[in-house]
Amino acid sequence: MKISSAKYLIKEGVRNIWINRMMSFASIGVLVSCLLLTGAAILFSLNINTAMQKLEQDNSVTVYMKDGLPTLKSIQVGEEIKKLDNVESCEFVPKAEALESIMKSMGDDGTIFNSLVGSENPLNDVFKVSLADLSKYKETAKQIGSLDGVYKVRDYSDIAAKLTSLDRLVTTAGFWIVLILSLVSLFIISNTIRVTMFSRRLEISVMKSVGATDGFVRLPFMVEGIIIGVFSGVLSSGLLALAYNKILQNITNIVPFFHPIGLGSIFAMIVLCFILAGALFGAVGGGISIGKYLRREGGDFIGW
Amino acid sequence: MIEFMDVSKTYGNGTQALRNINLKVDKGEFVFIVGSSGAGKSTFLKLIMCEEFPNSGEIIVNGRKLSTVKRRDIPYVRRTMGIVFQDFRLIDKMTVYDNVAFAMHVVGAAPREIRKRVPYILNLVGLKEKAGCHPNELSGGEQQRVGLARALVNNPSMIIADEPTGNIDPALSFEIVGLLSEINRRGTTILMVTHEHRLVKHFRRRVIEIHDGEIVADSCNISVPEGAHENQ
Repeated sequence: MKISSAKYLIKEGVRNIWINRMMSFASIGVLVSCLLLTGAAILFSLNINTAMQKLEQDNSVTVYMKDGLPTLKSIQVGEEIKKLDNVESCEFVPKAEALESIMKSMGDDGTIFNSLVGSENPLNDVFKVSLADLSKYKETAKQIGSLDGVYKVRDYSDIAAKLTSLDRLVTTAGFWIVLILSLVSLFIISNTIRVTMFSRRLEISVMKSVGATDGFVRLPFMVEGIIIGVFSGVLSSGLLALAYNKILQNITNIVPFFHPIGLGSIFAMIVLCFILAGALFGAVGGGISIGKYLRREGGDFIGW
Repeated sequence: MIEFMDVSKTYGNGTQALRNINLKVDKGEFVFIVGSSGAGKSTFLKLIMCEEFPNSGEIIVNGRKLSTVKRRDIPYVRRTMGIVFQDFRLIDKMTVYDNVAFAMHVVGAAPREIRKRVPYILNLVGLKEKAGCHPNELSGGEQQRVGLARALVNNPSMIIADEPTGNIDPALSFEIVGLLSEINRRGTTILMVTHEHRLVKHFRRRVIEIHDGEIVADSCNISVPEGAHENQ
């Protein structure tokens, strides 16, 4: 195709979007929802995977001492833990220090816990125990748990199992939601293009009568679909970035020890994927409509 | 130029539109196709334009057997023909100039060529002054002249006119056929479907009459232009 023809057809595609703006707006809305949900599911999954990796890298268990256990007794339990074969180090974190650390991480908001300082402190004394050999993880955790004065041993496998099941749930639900919305997007885009196509039946019949190839007839409609898709891709990645950053701010305020992944490193990839996905949806949606039309009645012009 | 050899066409619903049609139209001829509604005239044009294909027989257009033309090559066959419709088929939102230029855009003409050719053709059909008007600002005869300009702009070797005077004043019909005659005089073959016997009588060209899917008459109405019937 010549450059002059391509320019002409692209201009036509852009013009169609404006003429048919209500349907174009509907298509963009649905496609943006679809891409936003996909993006949210991906970011959620990425965060869970990162959290799990962090947990896996951390070869320690947290040992909670019984409520009200005197600090001296706790220290004695700590000595017993240190004596175990697989224990590399054992760090004592008194409950007062833990509360102080939480209050510090919350900045000014931490003052709301002022009333808990001292005897009202609801936290437990804790030991952070590093292990030498991770293959004996379960065994060592069991040995620690059996010591007198130990309330609970929390190892990462509990959290990992919960995170994995949550990730699976989000991935499965996300997959079906995205699949359904993708089909809805395709349906709406192809209908938007179909409306344009019917309003331009006369032009199509004239085009065909003077010798337009199917590609020439098809291109403006595909351009229309691609522009809708690209615009949706840009809009949804912008909205996703805004929403994610807002949620990050709130989450890190509420759960200070949660370290979500920053959007900076993956944002360019998200924008690119969204634009490509949007363009693909648009092109396929446009292609479906016009292809169907050209195969059926689009070639008729005498007695039309 | 156009040759039909034992061509028959039956539609999917069983309607037999054309039966064993044999005819030859030479380069430079002006042929009127007449016949009542449903006689098979539109099917005849559709077969030439590759909009339909015969069930049997062979059609040759410009030396090319249409049965051997691949689907993707049909647009290129059509580019050798210009079509004029009864209902003009002008695009309302486009000016006269754009309606004509549109046909050139479709075949991928360069913008410079379009700027040069469109005013020339509009001048030829007497509409140079109306280039900036929209179709709804023109009379029926003027609209059909735009249709004719559009059919001519890509310099086809043949013009197919499907009842081009059907939607215009009888007085203006003569003007349109006069214009077609002038185009024919310059070497373009004209195939014109019409119901108007006054025109056929007045312009004295070869007349093919189709009735019930068969050619029932193929003759010159009153006098024969030189060479027009040599190949019958």
